[in-house]
Amino acid sequence: MLKINNLHATVADKPILKGLTLTLNPGEIHAVMGPNGAGKSTLSYVLGGRPGYEVTDGTATLDGQDLLALAPHERAALGLFLGFQYPVEIPGVSNVQFLREALNAQRKARGEAALSAGDFLRVARTQAGAMGVDMDMLKRPVNVGFSGGEKKRNEMVQMGIIDPKLAILDETDSGLDIDALRVVGDGINRIMRKPDKAVLLITHYQRLLDYVKPDFVHVLADGRIVRSGGAELALELEREGYGALAA
Amino acid sequence: MSALALPSPREEAWRWSALAALPALAEATPRADALPVAPAFGGPHLTFIDGVYRPERSNPGPVAVGAVDAASAHPLARLATAPGWTLALGDDHAAGLVEIIHVSTGGANHVPARIALAAGAQARIVETFVGDGWANRLTAIALGKGARLMRALRLTQASGFTSLRDEAEIGEGASLVTVALGAGGAGSRIDAALTLTGTAAYAEMGGALLARGEQRHEAAVVVRHEAEKGVSRQIWRAVADDTASASLAARVEVAEGAQKTDGEQSLRGLLLKRAATVNLKPELEIFADDVKCAHGATVGELDAQALFYLASRGVPPAAARALLTHAFVADALDRIGEEAVRDAFIADADAWLEAH
Repeated sequence: MLKINNLHATVADKPILKGLTLTLNPGEIHAVMGPNGAGKSTLSYVLGGRPGYEVTDGTATLDGQDLLALAPHERAALGLFLGFQYPVEIPGVSNVQFLREALNAQRKARGEAALSAGDFLRVARTQAGAMGVDMDMLKRPVNVGFSGGEKKRNEMVQMGIIDPKLAILDETDSGLDIDALRVVGDGINRIMRKPDKAVLLITHYQRLLDYVKPDFVHVLADGRIVRSGGAELALELEREGYGALAA
Repeated sequence: MSALALPSPREEAWRWSALAALPALAEATPRADALPVAPAFGGPHLTFIDGVYRPERSNPGPVAVGAVDAASAHPLARLATAPGWTLALGDDHAAGLVEIIHVSTGGANHVPARIALAAGAQARIVETFVGDGWANRLTAIALGKGARLMRALRLTQASGFTSLRDEAEIGEGASLVTVALGAGGAGSRIDAALTLTGTAAYAEMGGALLARGEQRHEAAVVVRHEAEKGVSRQIWRAVADDTASASLAARVEVAEGAQKTDGEQSLRGLLLKRAATVNLKPELEIFADDVKCAHGATVGELDAQALFYLASRGVPPAAARALLTHAFVADALDRIGEEAVRDAFIADADAWLEAH
């Protein structure tokens, strides 16, 4: 589904990704772990198409299509969802308003009919309910005044509404207490654990992986995947730290 | 019309004005091919076409049409000496929403108006400017004790120029709220001198100016506190795209003795292109020592992080910019108390945002 080959990227002319290669097949959940500064967030932004992140070499394709040639909204229409480590607050724009616009823009790009306001609200209510999020909260401006945990739940509600093919979740576990971690983990499993979908979980810590069992774990250090393994690798990392493994 | 003497951009109060088109408009003849504009709010309404009252398209309700008891030394408003309209309400009278539609078909038209509300009277007026040409207006406002006036001004001419001048005296405990939207293709100058003459009066003037192409929009408002415990609010949002400019000059004067004045100015500009211009000039002149005057003036661009966030969810760039620009102007237009009017103004702003 997602094929990343020899990806090099710079931020403000500073090389961050230095030849990253990674393949996700349908039905797989991959975790990318690594120390601060390894390039984890850069990987998610490069795949999402954030301005300021320049690809200098390598390729990334989603179902055979060149992701890097597409604008961010086109990548979304192709089925890519980017979960933010720090979801952005947007005063004056309500969640439902923007999500309906987002979903219908994606549907239009794929040649599908727009959802009516009523149909959209039904979907939104179902997804909000599943994440324990109040509909009133969804009617409020995007992330404004939300706690850290509420923002992350809101990311999951958005993911549920958009129903992407591939989710790249950047430190979705940061800032969550144990209960919220379980809710978010359950959300990822419910929405994304399907034979035709894939997830790239970017995380510092093993604890989210207690709830979302990865099929593969990769260690990212200095812009490259330095080691790959199964779920047991995350436990090993937790025990021994990154230093020993990355060396 | 060679007598048309316009203020010079060398004068401080007119430095951002774009009046160059006015002499030609003043000499042009209206085409008189008026497009029918239906009233939008179902109540009393008056239609002026090229400055002339059209009874067959009006239902004036409490409004009188004819010579107006208003005069001004203002360089543009002094031209408004033709017959116009007057809304005068006696003590404790309340008028429903009155709609005034100004259609211009080229050329220039100058119309005065007077709104006089006696003690405890209440009125709501929405004015809409459409067509092209130069629509020039003087509105004299006098509010008695406890009177309340809510005005909404919608500048949606396709081209030409709209110049408005308000001169208001606001009495004890009276309230004047004026919200303007500039969302057409014309240039504009919204000019006001609001004086709080009575204790605990309230004056609010603000709105949103949306400029694109080579448009020049401008608001210049002076609020003068002459009595104690007055409250004033000036909440303006200026959006400039392409090479357009939107300018806001907002001044608060607090006279000696006008203690416990509470004045606030919030002027914010948004540049949609690097070649666009927003000018902001908040000014305070205070001759009393126990006052609270807050002012904020900021100019910026759309938040790149928010644009990327919206894009990452699939919102195309033009729609993302429209959403964020809508949000930027919404708090100024939300000051319109009448829901149907507020919705209509927001729809006009959205139509402007989507017309790319």
